[in-house]
Amino acid sequence: MTSSIVKFIYKNKIVEINNPDPNETILNYVRTKLKKTGTKEGCAEGGCGACTVVIGELKKNSINYKAINSCIAFVPSLEGKQLIIVEDLISKGEQHPVQKAMVNYHGSQCGFCTPGFVMSLFAMYKNYSSYKEEIIKDSIQGNLCRCTGYKPIIDAAKSLNKESKVDDFNRNKKITINLLNKIKHRNISIISGNKKYFAPKTVRELQNILKQNPNSKLISGGTDVSLIVTKERKDLNSLIYMNSISELNYIKKKNNFIEVGASTPLINFENFITKYFSDFSKIIKRYGSVQIRNICTIAGNIATASPIGDTLPLLLVLNSQIVIKDKNKTEILPLNGFFISYRKTKLKKGQFIHSIRIPFLKKDIFKAYKISKRIDDDISSVCASFCIEINNNKIKKIRIAYGGMSSIPKRAFKCEKILLNSFLSNQNIDKAKKLLEKDFKPITDARASNKYRMEVAKNLLEKFFLEIKQNKLIRLNA
Amino acid sequence: MLKMNSNSFIEQIRPHESGKKHVSGHANYIDDLAEPEGTLYGAIGYSKKAHAIIKKLDLKEVWKSQGVISVVTHKDIPGRNDVGAVYDGDPIFPKKVEYFGQPLFAVAATSTELARKAVLKAKIIYKTLKPIIDMKEAFRKKLFVLKGRKIKRGNPLEKISKAANYFNDSFTLGSQEHFYLEGQIAFVIPQEDNDFKIYSSTQHPSETQQIIAKMLNQKNNTINVEVRRVGGGFGGKETQSFIFAAICTLLSKKSKRPVKLRVDRDDDIIITGKRHDFHADYEVGFKDNGIIEGVKIKLLSRCGISPDLSGAINSRALLHIDNAYYLSDLLVENYLCKTNTSSSTAFRGFGGNQGMMIIENIIDNVARYLKKDSAEIRKINFYQKNKKNITHYGMKIEDNVINKIYSKLIKSSNYKNRRLKIIKFNSNNKYLKKGIAITPVKFGISFTTTHLNQAGALVHIYYADGSVHVSTGAIEMGQGTYTKIAQLVANELGLSYNKVKVSSTRTDKVPNTSASAASSTTDLNGAAAINAIDKIKQNLALFVKKKYKLRDDKAIYKNGTIKFKGKVFSFNSLIKEAYLNRVSLSSSGFYSTPKIHFNNKIFKGRPFLYFCYGAAISEVLIDTLTGENKTLRVDILHDHGRAINPAIEKGQIEGGFVQGAGWLTIEEIIWKTNGELTTHSPSTYKIPAVNDMPEKFNVKIFKNINKENVVNKSKTTGEPPLMLGMSVFFAIKDAIASVGNYKVIPKLNAPATPEAILFSINHIRKNYEK
Repeated sequence: MTSSIVKFIYKNKIVEINNPDPNETILNYVRTKLKKTGTKEGCAEGGCGACTVVIGELKKNSINYKAINSCIAFVPSLEGKQLIIVEDLISKGEQHPVQKAMVNYHGSQCGFCTPGFVMSLFAMYKNYSSYKEEIIKDSIQGNLCRCTGYKPIIDAAKSLNKESKVDDFNRNKKITINLLNKIKHRNISIISGNKKYFAPKTVRELQNILKQNPNSKLISGGTDVSLIVTKERKDLNSLIYMNSISELNYIKKKNNFIEVGASTPLINFENFITKYFSDFSKIIKRYGSVQIRNICTIAGNIATASPIGDTLPLLLVLNSQIVIKDKNKTEILPLNGFFISYRKTKLKKGQFIHSIRIPFLKKDIFKAYKISKRIDDDISSVCASFCIEINNNKIKKIRIAYGGMSSIPKRAFKCEKILLNSFLSNQNIDKAKKLLEKDFKPITDARASNKYRMEVAKNLLEKFFLEIKQNKLIRLNA
Repeated sequence: MLKMNSNSFIEQIRPHESGKKHVSGHANYIDDLAEPEGTLYGAIGYSKKAHAIIKKLDLKEVWKSQGVISVVTHKDIPGRNDVGAVYDGDPIFPKKVEYFGQPLFAVAATSTELARKAVLKAKIIYKTLKPIIDMKEAFRKKLFVLKGRKIKRGNPLEKISKAANYFNDSFTLGSQEHFYLEGQIAFVIPQEDNDFKIYSSTQHPSETQQIIAKMLNQKNNTINVEVRRVGGGFGGKETQSFIFAAICTLLSKKSKRPVKLRVDRDDDIIITGKRHDFHADYEVGFKDNGIIEGVKIKLLSRCGISPDLSGAINSRALLHIDNAYYLSDLLVENYLCKTNTSSSTAFRGFGGNQGMMIIENIIDNVARYLKKDSAEIRKINFYQKNKKNITHYGMKIEDNVINKIYSKLIKSSNYKNRRLKIIKFNSNNKYLKKGIAITPVKFGISFTTTHLNQAGALVHIYYADGSVHVSTGAIEMGQGTYTKIAQLVANELGLSYNKVKVSSTRTDKVPNTSASAASSTTDLNGAAAINAIDKIKQNLALFVKKKYKLRDDKAIYKNGTIKFKGKVFSFNSLIKEAYLNRVSLSSSGFYSTPKIHFNNKIFKGRPFLYFCYGAAISEVLIDTLTGENKTLRVDILHDHGRAINPAIEKGQIEGGFVQGAGWLTIEEIIWKTNGELTTHSPSTYKIPAVNDMPEKFNVKIFKNINKENVVNKSKTTGEPPLMLGMSVFFAIKDAIASVGNYKVIPKLNAPATPEAILFSINHIRKNYEK
């Protein structure tokens, strides 16, 4: 069934909007239509967290609470979900434990970022049973505060360990689940003025829509695409929302590889991958905030083909493949070679990324490093990833890839070539370092100079071998 | 004169007065106010060249754009086309463009989105001129916004030439974006008689009023500016808010409709001024024991296109070039360089922090030159109690506690042992290195422009229930001034806190206010409120004397009672009785800071009422292969006198430290050579996030009472804690020095980004291996 009416749950009632403007952000909707002004705009690009709201999603017979940046999420993406904003946390005049803690621990000064922090902490409160410092910091790394220096906010969050887990959302859970069940996803097809928006529920439906609307933009997390509206001030005239396709939200272990569906949120992948490639999980934690990782996908990272997409060098050295489909055909391509030039890929009109396959490694050592000015939620100046098999001090297999070093994420083939079948010696490593200059001609921008990029790329190669030789990590957070 | 309720002082932890509203989304910022019907929304079109003459500004397509109701340019300004507070030089809409991002026109449309789309449709033809972006180039070309100055004490050149040791080098400090979370915004509602009601997110409503009155050629009494709260200022809304309020008023005047102008984050960062970056060339002569004999500094600052507050900011840099050190012989030449970048402006520390960093870096290098622990060299140069206690501007330091704070912190944080352990760690670790440093803070409190040290207040007591309403010139921007003023007022009247309300700050209630700046807001406005209360108390005393024949000028106000010698009244009953007997229960109040004076020409006087002191020890870990770093532990000991609300002061100390550390480490402002800013969004400009907080963060308070007659005998915290962040920079430098076995002095400029750190390490490796 296809509908033009977007339905979601707000304050335990079903809200219906017929043909909403598909370029209207949830933030603007909340502030101008719901007339609730607690949710703030700080940057309109998902970089400060002041606009954080929480989305309740049905998961089996429970609700999964996701903090998201409402400034880069469009209204139709609310379809089938529960919307929770800061004003909703007060119940019968009584503040939520998260709110009380923030007041009592002096967690607000100017107060502008505070609603965002409250919502991030609320999602944490709902999704975890105890709040260790690591969980707290991860939960609020996407929320910027310029006044407090964060300490009182962390103290407030820690104090929640002593608080009751029962809140109104808990008490009303059954009602909410019933409502969510009632509005279970339908295919959404919106026409609003000159703008079209589709949220198919199945791959088949996606294939049909894409066939009929080959110029549509696919959107998942929207960290890139939404900015066309919020920053470039342009319209997105035809959008296809990927994250309603539940058949693409999966991680499967096959014989030789892991398969990740295109609409799988990064945060799910990060939890899964940690036991196979722990560095992969560490990089994803620094890829973006919880708000970003809740909605963004690996497929999105691949499709935007950004030279600084942090999963890409990692997937490259892991010899990943992508499954691409259109109406009739399925193609399986190696990721290596998929990126043609700056933000251009081999993906043709009418095609979409269905899934990503990451082979299991048997004897290989996999490592990844991310260099950025800030630890949290920053774009890499350089991201490096290495995969190696060593036998009797001889390099049997090696794959090296970098982000931030070129107009596309790229393997360092010349460097690899000299290392392959050579012995693990300082001399060979020095030679390989030098060859990176042949592989890459990095640029200077706001994040780093070309000189620094080249030097740090070389040093990361050295670090990789040092860590192998010394059999320990040389890291600030080791 | 400040007459405080001497019977009781307070030290009372309370949540922020708006805390409950902040956490529930019920605290209204300007964008949250209910809009009258017909409200329009503004957007600004700005220059895409840094230096150019506008040949043609074609706005036809802008006018035609969907939803556009009105467009304004310089032709629509009836009066002064400038928002400069002290000097001209900040045109609202210029004819000649001087920086990339300078506003050229604005539109009002039926929605913010449509207004922002419309401004992109302008066709502008520029005649491009060569922009000067680098301050050193401006210096070479003698391009200045104001005349520079030279300050001198003793015979520095002679002392330097005769000193046992000599060293010269240069040092650069980066700029900083305020990144208040609430972006610039104004909301203007036209009133009858061509009056305007202006809501502005500003630290300075009175100046907003004056500038708009001049722009419109109207009287000041036609402009009413109101500010309830500001979502972060840090100096970035002291003057930088004016242009938005002015443009918004122009749009409202032309369209005759209410207009809201909310500026997008990127545009905000591109249009507004930032912290002054500084460059210093210095020479220093010193004894073998590290005592500085003479210093000569050439001090350049990037001021951008106009003077704005650069005169006062550079002056404060000169006034803090000593930090906590006695400099007997000193020469500083200061140049205020004009560049084609947005006009550099106030930012927490206001030049003081830049001055302090320069001397701290010199001292650090002196210690490294002598191969001594910099903690010792710092200490040996400190101001003393009874001698070496006159600053280079002639002020005697009467409240010095830096020696005590410093020794106490070194002991409590186990500095000496930890330093030895770090040296050992470094000799055992090739790639990861640790560093540690202690830095002191001495920061002068008062506006250095003496006349600004005044404040007004308006206090009403309502007879019906004894509740109290307070207005002052103070702007609540997160620093907790409303909370502290309410606490002071409650204490003075002996009432419970919840009977007092501090309301929004309005130019029609309290006139002629100074900016909420210079850390002085509560000191000044709290004192003015107390003065108003004192006047009401005098009315009551007179009434009691007349009616009850009780003569007592020192009645005690406590626990809801008023105790006159011989009779105790309940507060409410005496208030009611006074009203029925036609006694005024309302008064304005005024305060001007005593003792201070400063002759700017000869650079002598007592510019400050008192000093704030503190010290911080930071320990860091760096990765010498990448330049990445991490702050492991920070110990702070800070003096806030007798705090009205210790929790608020602690918040200022922690937050100030993190902001200062951010300035010196990850926050980097970069302009392209054409003057375009490349760091204008949270994705390119990084302020500290939660994992930048030190792993261990111990903040302790130095028990003290302000010697001067300041509200509650407290000391302000506002700006000074920012400078505690200096310790992180020098700890990083210490870690870098370990790469050369502490034998080579690291060359490190701020900010110490991973890149700066790695290149500094390279410099050491090159020189050490020689």
